[in-house]
Amino acid sequence: MTALALSPDSPMTTGHAPGAGWLYRLHRPALYVWIGLVALLAAGLVWLWGPLTDSSAAAWREYNEFCLKRGSCHYDPDAIVRYKDVYGYTTAALTALPFVVAAWAGAALFGREWEHGTAQLAWTQSLSPVRWLAIKLIVPTALVTAGTGLLVVLHRLMWSAGDGRIDTAKSWYDSFTLHTNGPTTVAFALTGLAAGALGGVLLRRTLPTLMFALACVTVVRLLADQVMPHLWPAVTRVSGLADGYRGSGLGVDSGLVTATAAHVADPGCGPTLASPGCERVYADLDATGFYTTYHPESHYWPLQLTATALVLAVAAALAVTAFVLLRRATATTASGGAETVV
Amino acid sequence: MTDTAMAATALGKRFGRRGGWALRDCAFRLPAGRVCAVVGPNGAGKSTLLALAAGLLAPTEGGVTVLGTDPASARARVGYVAQDKPLYPQLTVAETLRVGADLNPDRWDAETAGRIVSAGELDPKKKIRSLSGGQRTRVALALALGKRPELLLLDEPMADLDPLARHELMGTLMARAAQYGTTIVMSSHVVAELEDSCDHLLLVGGGRIRLAGEIDDLLGAHARVSTAVSTTAGAAGPAPATGGAPGGPPDLAPHTVVESRVTGRQLTALVRPAGPLAEDWRASTPSLEELVLAYLRNPQAAPLTPAEPEEAAV
Repeated sequence: MTALALSPDSPMTTGHAPGAGWLYRLHRPALYVWIGLVALLAAGLVWLWGPLTDSSAAAWREYNEFCLKRGSCHYDPDAIVRYKDVYGYTTAALTALPFVVAAWAGAALFGREWEHGTAQLAWTQSLSPVRWLAIKLIVPTALVTAGTGLLVVLHRLMWSAGDGRIDTAKSWYDSFTLHTNGPTTVAFALTGLAAGALGGVLLRRTLPTLMFALACVTVVRLLADQVMPHLWPAVTRVSGLADGYRGSGLGVDSGLVTATAAHVADPGCGPTLASPGCERVYADLDATGFYTTYHPESHYWPLQLTATALVLAVAAALAVTAFVLLRRATATTASGGAETVV
Repeated sequence: MTDTAMAATALGKRFGRRGGWALRDCAFRLPAGRVCAVVGPNGAGKSTLLALAAGLLAPTEGGVTVLGTDPASARARVGYVAQDKPLYPQLTVAETLRVGADLNPDRWDAETAGRIVSAGELDPKKKIRSLSGGQRTRVALALALGKRPELLLLDEPMADLDPLARHELMGTLMARAAQYGTTIVMSSHVVAELEDSCDHLLLVGGGRIRLAGEIDDLLGAHARVSTAVSTTAGAAGPAPATGGAPGGPPDLAPHTVVESRVTGRQLTALVRPAGPLAEDWRASTPSLEELVLAYLRNPQAAPLTPAEPEEAAV
């Protein structure tokens, strides 16, 4: 009994307000699942970071040095495939994590409590609704941030280890790697949590709340992909008609430059070096070269951090709305609700 | 002056901006230490009233005070059991009680809670989701009583219980009320269920308080009269006439008529006497059930809520 009563947050229980021990009791299985999930993914990423990257890089070195140049070699194609597979699985899992968090928050953490009336049960024990919501957001936020943050850091380390050594490694601007290498993934997960809270207050049922939280994360992620390239000034590079496009990275725009420096659409003919017949096409368009507007890799952190800030702002807005609606729906203290939250 | 356990002034609650009023213009005062029955048909607003008092809902207009303060500030001192007895289905009985201890760090009475549960021969290791309705009620009551409430709000508490468990738990509640002076407010649509144990009544009908006060006072304020229909005054005709507004059958004036019925040559009525009753009337004190039914059958009858909350501002 005493061992169980030892809640992980006993120091938090100050004075008269209940701490978060009840939350641990209610969601202990979810906590264990989360720890297991993070541990599993972390193990996969560490495996990838060390042995798999090394063996894949060795195979590529072997292949490039001997197979291509000398024609006789014995490289290890399995190592290359294994790296590629495990990279794909872990990156997909890390990409899916915010959706898992959203589904759990929508269904188990908030939706079910509203549907079963156990939210009200907590409020008629000595826990005010606002404090209830605050504890239910703060503790999972800490755990989700820690878990997802750890995985993102490991993914980044793992990716960096393979960068330039493995020919089939994903580029930094690959649509999945772009997010799993940086804090936007953490922000997406927190959006799921906040969306679950708001969905619960709005819809008060398990399934609709789950759908709402998933929809919010999906929309935020799609919007983030759309908006992200425009969050930082991009670089424009012009190259000759013979060479085709130069400069690779997160693309914003590309096309032809005319003699008057105007940007026009690319008819898709290709560089003249490769297809000389295109010279006439370009002459008709008065084109003098190709231009491409893109973000080089040095823009990664500015883009990531501004996008993260933006997504976190959305998450905060969802959470604040949930608090406001909950406060309006339930009785608050006459003093105007100077309820201490932590 | 007795302490006020619960008082409402012009209390109203509307669900949704265009929804109907679940409760409107409620005003009453419940002194501390009473066992109060909240009676009314389904959908009358009983649950809304209790949820407002428990601080689960914010009133649309007016206000309710509990234990001399607002419901949000009184949260720790008020126990509440909702109609559907919500509990965490994934927990065991013992874990549920430990959650109660977590949520009431300063007030939790583990012994009382444990005793209520063990009286039902409930296995503490059993999951809540596997309990019967009556067993759930028992655990929900244990949670509510474990926090040592000064005011206990019970919404249809006995609906799921077999007669034996009902008797036993009612006994526990009454002992609690007697020993600690706990005010108990319980709702039901079955009047008989509450008649023996309650000393105060709130009759809710159509979202309004129809009757409020000590049951003895309320019964004393009414009389069931029967008299032969006089040929001159019986102009209402031989057809059974139910009516009750002050402008009812003239021979009942000046008393306030709650309900009157003519059967053959016999007029029976439930009235609130405004003075001495006529000598040729046979008068008797109505039963609580008769009183409640008369008011519910006649929504136009003038409400009687004598305990107006003069001190509600406390």
